[in-house]
Amino acid sequence: MGAPEPAASLPDGGPAIEVNDLTVAYREQPVLWDIDLEVRPGALTAIVGPNGAGKTTLIQSILGLVRPAAGRVRILDRTIQEARSEVAYVPQRGTVDWDFPTSVLDVVLMGTYREVGWFRRPGRPERIRAVRALEKVGMEAYQDRQIRQLSGGQQQRVFLARALVQEARIYLMDEPFQGVDARTETAIVEVLRELRDRGDTVVAVHHALQTVPEYFDDVVILNVRRIASGPVSEVFTEDNLRVAYGGRVPFLQAVSDAPVADLPES
Amino acid sequence: MSGLDFEIQLLAVVVSVACALPGVFLVLRRMALLSDAISHSILLGIVLAFFWVQDLNSPILILAAAATGLLMVAMVEALHATRRVKEDAAIALVFPALFSLAVLLISRYAGNVHLDVDAVLLGEIAFAPFRRLEVGGHDLGPRSLWMMGGILALNLLFLMAFYKELKVSTFDAGLAAAMGFSPVLIQYAFMGLVSVTAVGAFDAVGSILVVALMIAPPASARLLTDRLPLMIGLSALLAAVSAVSGFWIARGLDASIAGSMATAAGLVFLLSMLLAPDRGVVASLLRRRRQKVSFARLMLTIHLLNHEHSPAAAEENRLGHLSAHLRWSPDFARQVADRAERDGFLDRGEGDRLHLTPLGREAARHFMTR
Repeated sequence: MGAPEPAASLPDGGPAIEVNDLTVAYREQPVLWDIDLEVRPGALTAIVGPNGAGKTTLIQSILGLVRPAAGRVRILDRTIQEARSEVAYVPQRGTVDWDFPTSVLDVVLMGTYREVGWFRRPGRPERIRAVRALEKVGMEAYQDRQIRQLSGGQQQRVFLARALVQEARIYLMDEPFQGVDARTETAIVEVLRELRDRGDTVVAVHHALQTVPEYFDDVVILNVRRIASGPVSEVFTEDNLRVAYGGRVPFLQAVSDAPVADLPES
Repeated sequence: MSGLDFEIQLLAVVVSVACALPGVFLVLRRMALLSDAISHSILLGIVLAFFWVQDLNSPILILAAAATGLLMVAMVEALHATRRVKEDAAIALVFPALFSLAVLLISRYAGNVHLDVDAVLLGEIAFAPFRRLEVGGHDLGPRSLWMMGGILALNLLFLMAFYKELKVSTFDAGLAAAMGFSPVLIQYAFMGLVSVTAVGAFDAVGSILVVALMIAPPASARLLTDRLPLMIGLSALLAAVSAVSGFWIARGLDASIAGSMATAAGLVFLLSMLLAPDRGVVASLLRRRRQKVSFARLMLTIHLLNHEHSPAAAEENRLGHLSAHLRWSPDFARQVADRAERDGFLDRGEGDRLHLTPLGREAARHFMTR
């Protein structure tokens, strides 16, 4: 990746992502209901909530992949179409076919396709950047591997590298820690912190509530409606979680004494 | 070989390769059966366009056919979107509707023209060389060779121009959409291409066998390689091989050329499935066999280690005892012992006594303390 972006390139005081009155419905059933949200630039933000809370839909609405019934989304005070080059997306690992006949380097190169544009192919400069992105996630030794030979944690790191190679300023990730081993989790957290420290914005759907305070600065608690959002220290409270999870909060039972790092992955 | 034979084979190769190229992405997108649906529903377009222009050689027929192919895809998606049927059922409902309408129209109104049901189902590649393309009195070769050649060129161009878009939208439609490549647009462009290809191939091999030419070579190539460019190249190669061998099978059996081409493509798949280096049946049997012997070798060293210094060692650590103790056949026991000896894990003593070497002891201990 290039030199750190100067913080001054961010719009002064403006949010990285601004969501107003967003409502998304599938077949007249609201999946997201009247969401208002501001994502702080240069922070790591978690989206948490029970299954069916609309976490993935929120990410996809921000990306413009889902057509909302109402509301609007602004990215760095622009529409998503205008801001595509600023946004990198890491879908859930399980949404793609890992038996697809391609190599690790090739998957990372897909991250460059947008800027390469129609009709052209990535060349040497893109390859060099892809290898560097793989180095960041500790996967450079695997660049010629076929992707079907990767473990779950390795797949997730390849996905992360593919986002890094886009050199975006906003990273939207759908469950980047899902099904990865402890070592990979640490490696991913480190990369996310590095992104934040250069002023980039990371929003990640996250399942393991017990690691939210350790990994993230801000949190959005979601269950069709926005229950709360803001700094973890202020809004990540038992009360808010109870509202979202309906009284039974897995985290509140699990967190009693186990040290965070030893908790089983979800 | 006569010029006629050569032209038929050339046409067979061009048709097969033109079908195999989009077939690669049909296989990867898990849409193999949609090609069958398309190849049937385009008939309706051909029939309707024929009624309109009254000329079987008009390019309008190709366009109309491609349009019905797309219409079929859109109808399947619309029906599926109602959530009243699953996608496979939607396909099975839509294409027979369009196809049967076409068959009805042909049998009712077009009984006297070349559009007869046999030709529709099985094609007539053997007659293709008789329809010549003549420009200003010069014979330029079979008409369908020119048409299929054009379609092959179109497929090649499309694949080269949109290779990375096809690849990313096939592998990860979400990412493709997030990057601003419309997966829906790519999907319909690709389906249009499949339809056009099916129209061309239809003339030569009929609507039923198109699916064999589109799917069998890529499905074989998929087993032979894990690299997409190689898979595309191999698909084209296997398609050409199937076409030529199909022709000669037909010649030998005095049977339908289209049927023989599809049969040859099926045989190529069968061979690939058996003999593919990594994913083939033989390779995986061998791999399992190797694993079985090497696991047995480990069991043997552990058994020997356990009884090494016991009073019963003289009895236990004999080759002849293994079949009783480890439930191995005497043959298998000998094979495992031979393998272990070759690997330096044990020595043969007097009689059929087996003694662990330090290396064998090390291996057994290493496994047990793991």
